[in-house]
Amino acid sequence: MTVSTEGHTVKRYDQQLGNLRSLVLEMGGLVEDQITRAVQALQDEDLVAAREVVARDHVVNGFDVRADEEVVNLLALRQPVGSDLRLILSMAKTVTDLERIGDEAEKIARMTARMYDGTNIPHAKLLRDVASMAKLAVAMLHGALDALARMDVATALAIAKGDDELDGEFQSSLRRLATFMMEDPRTIGHAIDAIFIIKALERIGDHSKNIAEYVVYLVKGKDVRHVKKEQLTMDDLDS
Amino acid sequence: MNKPTTTARGVYTIPEERRIGGKAHLALVTRRNAAERRFRAYGIAALGLSLLFLVTLFVTIIGNGASAFRQTYVKLDVNFAADVLDPDGKRDPATLGSANYLTLVRNTLRSQLPDTEGRAALREAQGLISSAANYQLREMVLADPLLVGQTRPVWVLASALVDATLKGGIDRNLPESDRKISDRQLGWLDKLAAEGRIERRFNSVLFTAGDSREPEQAGIWGAVMGSFYTMVVTLALSFPIGVAAAIYLEEFAPRNRWTDLIEVNINNLAAVPSIVYGLLGLAVFINWFGLPRSAPLVGGLVLTLMTLPVIIIASRAALTSVPPSIREAALGMGASKMQTVTHHVLPLALPGMLTGAIIGMSRALGETAPLLMIGMVAFIVDVPTGFTSHATVLPVQIYLWADSPERAFVERTSAAILVLLGFMVAMNALAVILRKRFERRW
Amino acid sequence: MNTAIAQQRAIHQEPVMAAHPQDLAFNATEPAPEGHRTVGLVTVDNPKMSARDVNVHYGDKHAIKHVTIDIGTNEVIAFIGPSGCGKSTFLRCLNRMNDTIDGCRVSGEITLDGHDIYARDLDVVQLRARVGMVFQKPNPFPKSIFDNVAYGPRIHGMVSSKSELEDLVQWALEKAGLWNEVKDRLHQPGTGLSGGQQQRLCIARAISVSPEVILMDEPCSALDPIATAKIEELIDELRANFSIVIVTHSMQQAARVSQRTAYFHLGDLIEVGETEQIFTNPVHKLTEGYITGRFG
Repeated sequence: MTVSTEGHTVKRYDQQLGNLRSLVLEMGGLVEDQITRAVQALQDEDLVAAREVVARDHVVNGFDVRADEEVVNLLALRQPVGSDLRLILSMAKTVTDLERIGDEAEKIARMTARMYDGTNIPHAKLLRDVASMAKLAVAMLHGALDALARMDVATALAIAKGDDELDGEFQSSLRRLATFMMEDPRTIGHAIDAIFIIKALERIGDHSKNIAEYVVYLVKGKDVRHVKKEQLTMDDLDS
Repeated sequence: MNKPTTTARGVYTIPEERRIGGKAHLALVTRRNAAERRFRAYGIAALGLSLLFLVTLFVTIIGNGASAFRQTYVKLDVNFAADVLDPDGKRDPATLGSANYLTLVRNTLRSQLPDTEGRAALREAQGLISSAANYQLREMVLADPLLVGQTRPVWVLASALVDATLKGGIDRNLPESDRKISDRQLGWLDKLAAEGRIERRFNSVLFTAGDSREPEQAGIWGAVMGSFYTMVVTLALSFPIGVAAAIYLEEFAPRNRWTDLIEVNINNLAAVPSIVYGLLGLAVFINWFGLPRSAPLVGGLVLTLMTLPVIIIASRAALTSVPPSIREAALGMGASKMQTVTHHVLPLALPGMLTGAIIGMSRALGETAPLLMIGMVAFIVDVPTGFTSHATVLPVQIYLWADSPERAFVERTSAAILVLLGFMVAMNALAVILRKRFERRW
Repeated sequence: MNTAIAQQRAIHQEPVMAAHPQDLAFNATEPAPEGHRTVGLVTVDNPKMSARDVNVHYGDKHAIKHVTIDIGTNEVIAFIGPSGCGKSTFLRCLNRMNDTIDGCRVSGEITLDGHDIYARDLDVVQLRARVGMVFQKPNPFPKSIFDNVAYGPRIHGMVSSKSELEDLVQWALEKAGLWNEVKDRLHQPGTGLSGGQQQRLCIARAISVSPEVILMDEPCSALDPIATAKIEELIDELRANFSIVIVTHSMQQAARVSQRTAYFHLGDLIEVGETEQIFTNPVHKLTEGYITGRFG
């Protein structure tokens, strides 16, 4: 009678949990790639790449469906408790957020396709903030997924706190776009598209933050959503 | 067929012929079936053999003993002559009681049978009639003094010799010198038979009389009553003491070296040869306590000693078989130890205890050896009337009769054995019925 | 392509477990080190029973080690743990059923309403009437249904007339949810009922003497799921009037019926906590290992 370091007495259970985790991480990798490509396509004004991103969204959705199925099966057949329950719940929620992130990537790609489709090319200044925001958002997602893969609470906590920075960027970018629109009403059409794009990036940050919070819940069993993160330290989580 | 079997450690393949249905396996199955058939045959043989013994036993005993339940009677026309019975004519009961009835019998025989002149002939004639005839006639006269002076036909008990001859126990075709019955006696018998004066009736003497030297007058009633008194003492002592001891040991006593020792000793006592208990009884009850010899009281005490271990062991087994969950349930309800035992454990254990007691009693009923040691082997004619009167018991009576030289005691021995077996069967049946009745309550 | 993406990320292979400073000193094959202290909500505000530093020895075997725990008023507390962990032994200390076992010694203090139940002047018969017990295997007396329930009130002299007794029996059977099923055959043997009904009869028998605490030693282990559900529902209802301690091998059952759960391991009380917490986020590594099925 020992606490097995290898996992459950029932090996199949471990296998199923492992499957779910790799499915989610794989989906995370795919979603991360989607955003990177969508942002790249926007910056390169690459219509073909943008359409590819749009076309690949159904793969993300496929992962979503498969992961949910796994979750339902695990809940029904294994009645998970403790860390297993937290793992499965975190994975289920992470999948939802990833799917939404996938949608945001698709949205950016559609915007790209629309903006660069005709002769009316948007002015570069409208998209000046996109690059830095995209970098932040992708970094957040990347960090959140890394934290998830390594069960790294410290990183997760840092990511959760980092969302404020992206929100700040979004606010200032929004103000700037408003200024452009007031200066020159002809830019309004493209500015709205740009707003959609930065809004999408901002949402990606929010979803990444959620994923980071799930990691904290998964490892520490503490729900840190809707809590002021500034004062939160690792010590608080252990108590 | 040769698909490998995967185990946790790797792949193991059972050779083709050793798999189920393979050649080696089929041979194994054949051997196994043969072994099973053989075993069943042994069982049937053993059962048959024991049944055979049982049947032989019963056939022999019934064959030997059945005839003892009927006894030959002879009708004599007795002249209750006044000059023999009551020479002074006062009809005084004392005179009538002390009169010479032997003469009366002799006179009757002389008048009834031809060729009875001379002492030797008369003695032979007298040999046809049991000596009980004298007492029978005396009883008749004392009951009804008016008989004096009259002649009446009376059925009297025939002697054992006559009885044996008529039952075929003595071969008439032997030369006279080789048989106990003389030609003259045979002639008389034939004459009496021709006149319809010989009859066989139910042998009530066997069930009402005590022991006797004369086979035709010997009965088992004395022994039955002796057994009864002995068993009353045994039951009255061994059941309460045995059950109390068993309850204490099983339910209350702590488990330690002392109780273990006691337990071992009780088990050993059950295996002690019964004659040892007889010696003990002789030393303790008779020589030390000064209780009377040959008395059912002492016999009962000795058999109590012998039965106690059996009852204790059976009672303990019955108590152990009561599921502990019942005790737990009662204790968990706040019942005391005593309440737990009396309300729940004892009622459930009682059928088993009763069975043990009855089986112990039937063992005691059949016991002879220890009783020999305390003098219950004596020849006792009177039927015992209490716990301290001299008595013998059925198995001892059987032993005594089996030891007697008279031919007629052979059938009586078997008859007594049948009666004893009847009691045993009845007691065992009672045990079964009791158990069934109590167990069927739930 | 997708696998290639996934492979970029090194997957953390260790099982996810709460990391707690004191866990690492533990090896599950061995008893907790000396001075181990139970984790979690050991005490409550209004305890019905309290155990303080209770030790039980069976001969040489130290079966229960320094167990300290409160049993709250109107609370269902579940004891879980692997076989032989001492949960049943500890349960039986609470109404001194261990007294009947030779060579069993109990030290420490157990109080019921503040009074030591191992005090010399305490009548154990009275204690067992106040702390009732329901056993693993339904064990009705081989008597009628009525007599089963009436037994306790009779031996404790709790009723003065036959009609009172009848009322009491009906109350107990109703409370145990059995009345409607048996009211027409009260005088038939209790052993003729189904397993679940027998167990409810045993519960009725236990509550017939109005105990304050009911101890249940794996009450559903011999029952089918429907009978189990009925008993669990019953336990939930009985909570309003009694404190209930239930030992169970079924973690789902502990989760369903109890407010607090205590985890025993090789004679140690490892962790006590709100049932929700124990089953979502146990503090101790051993608890986690046990409830998630990582004991091998």
